[in-house]
Amino acid sequence: MGTKVVPRYGDSLKDRSYLFALASGMKTTFSKFAKNLNDINAVTTKEYPEVQPDDITDRYRGMHRLTHREDNSVRCVACFMCATACPSDCIFIEAEEREDGVDEKQPQRFDIDLLECIFCGYCVEACPCDAIRMDTGIFSIIAKNREDFVINKEQLLSNRGAFGKENSLA
Amino acid sequence: MHIFMILFPIVITIMFTLTTIPLLVWMERRVAALIQDRLGPNRCNIQGIHLAGLIQPIADMIKLVFKEEFYPKHIKHTFYYILAPGIVFASAFLSFMVIPYADDITLNGFTYHIQALPIDLGVLWVFAFAGLGVYGIIIAGWSSHNKYSILGALRASSQVISYEIAMGLSIVSMLITYNSISLNDMVNFQGQLLFGFIPAWGIVLQPLAGIIFIVTAFAESNRAPFDAAEGESEIVAGYHTEYSAMKFALFFMGEYIAMSAASALIVTIFFGGYQIPWLNTEFMHTHMQLVLGLVMLVVALFSLVFVKWMRRNNCTSISQQKETKFATLFISAIVLILEAFLLYLLSVGMSSEGNAIFTMILQITSFALKVMLMNFVFVWVRWTFPRFRYDQTQSLGWKILLPLALFNIFITAIVVVLGGF
Repeated sequence: MGTKVVPRYGDSLKDRSYLFALASGMKTTFSKFAKNLNDINAVTTKEYPEVQPDDITDRYRGMHRLTHREDNSVRCVACFMCATACPSDCIFIEAEEREDGVDEKQPQRFDIDLLECIFCGYCVEACPCDAIRMDTGIFSIIAKNREDFVINKEQLLSNRGAFGKENSLA
Repeated sequence: MHIFMILFPIVITIMFTLTTIPLLVWMERRVAALIQDRLGPNRCNIQGIHLAGLIQPIADMIKLVFKEEFYPKHIKHTFYYILAPGIVFASAFLSFMVIPYADDITLNGFTYHIQALPIDLGVLWVFAFAGLGVYGIIIAGWSSHNKYSILGALRASSQVISYEIAMGLSIVSMLITYNSISLNDMVNFQGQLLFGFIPAWGIVLQPLAGIIFIVTAFAESNRAPFDAAEGESEIVAGYHTEYSAMKFALFFMGEYIAMSAASALIVTIFFGGYQIPWLNTEFMHTHMQLVLGLVMLVVALFSLVFVKWMRRNNCTSISQQKETKFATLFISAIVLILEAFLLYLLSVGMSSEGNAIFTMILQITSFALKVMLMNFVFVWVRWTFPRFRYDQTQSLGWKILLPLALFNIFITAIVVVLGGF
């Protein structure tokens, strides 16, 4: 009682000859081939460098950027939280005193080695001031030599968010 | 003329083996892509001429030729290490030598065989060299002195003992049917008609032997689903892990030539070789007008369908549109010239020697088409079926194919003896 007898397959001569199963497999692949050969432009492949991807969401972790305050000065207070959280030690910060009275500290140097970076987003999580973000949507990072992959504070500040949330929330 | 007709089959052999390799590589990659809903190599071009990606194999070839010849330091037996790809390549190449491309042709009183090596023991020669190819793989795996390579070599040797017997026995029943071991006789036999309307191809006469031979031919050419020796997802690249540049390319080309040779053998024994169905050599010699008309029709229809397909599918970018325009012009010019030439032949008529030469050209074309179709089947199967484990190959060979082949010989012999064929 209560047992369900599951029918077993594969014992008949038809199944054990394999030929019918092979034929149905070959039919599947051939129908794919014939369909795509007949209308090759319907294949969903995007020809990448000419056709850029259109499905990058605002949660995509692209190249980093440093956010700005309302007066367009740097939001970062050089607290070193991101550099501490970084698992691959790719953030290099040197702090300096901030003279304009907006805050007490600011980074004099803020370098990120994009070859070391693993794009985990921990720096964004760690930042108490929402000063670093990865919402630029830049997924393709290209340079001619290794040194050019280390981007500095000015480059980080010049990156803009790609998804409309420009000003810092903090 | 004499020398030309003797050299001609050798030239065709080289064309069938060496010059089809780029075509086969291209076909493999494009067909694989289309089966998997991708595009495959289509970017490579010379001044905007893509030829649907056919430029890619040329680029690949140039890359492989100019790559550095790298000899790993740990290899002790350099002689065997260098010899191995040569064995694979040469044995695959030589097994192609005895395939007949067209019927015997009589010109100026001489009869020429359109076979690079006109010998009567065709099947034995093919098996001798097909069996030798695996030595190259085993030597490569052993001399590479590398775990993955030796695993690949072990798999290859375990595979060769599992399929060769079934392969040989499936051919024995064909030898009983055809009553000859010469491939030329076999193809001549297949020019007949069964019951007056079915071509007497081997696959029709002996479907079981045909299936066994096709399965074992896949194993013999070391292609999926029997590519355990290479097993790139398990043992890196198997026997050719340590090879680079042209030595790797020799293995690569050897694989494709072996595939071509296996296709040629399958076509020769089971699919009527160079025979065009319902049009055997005598029929073509006597009804040349009809054949010429048919050829004109087929060429016109085929080129029309192709041009239509090309205009529909090769039209997205400007360079593609330009290429399509150029190719349409080129193809229509070629077809027009060909049709005009055929029409001229049709109206003037041909001598018996002209008939013989035209028949030969048609038969070579038919053979090439059949081999290309069979190669397509090889590619198609590769991208459909998963790989056999090497013990599965063994149990398939020994427990299923060998008894079936023996049974088939038994039945064939009874039918031949009692039926008195």
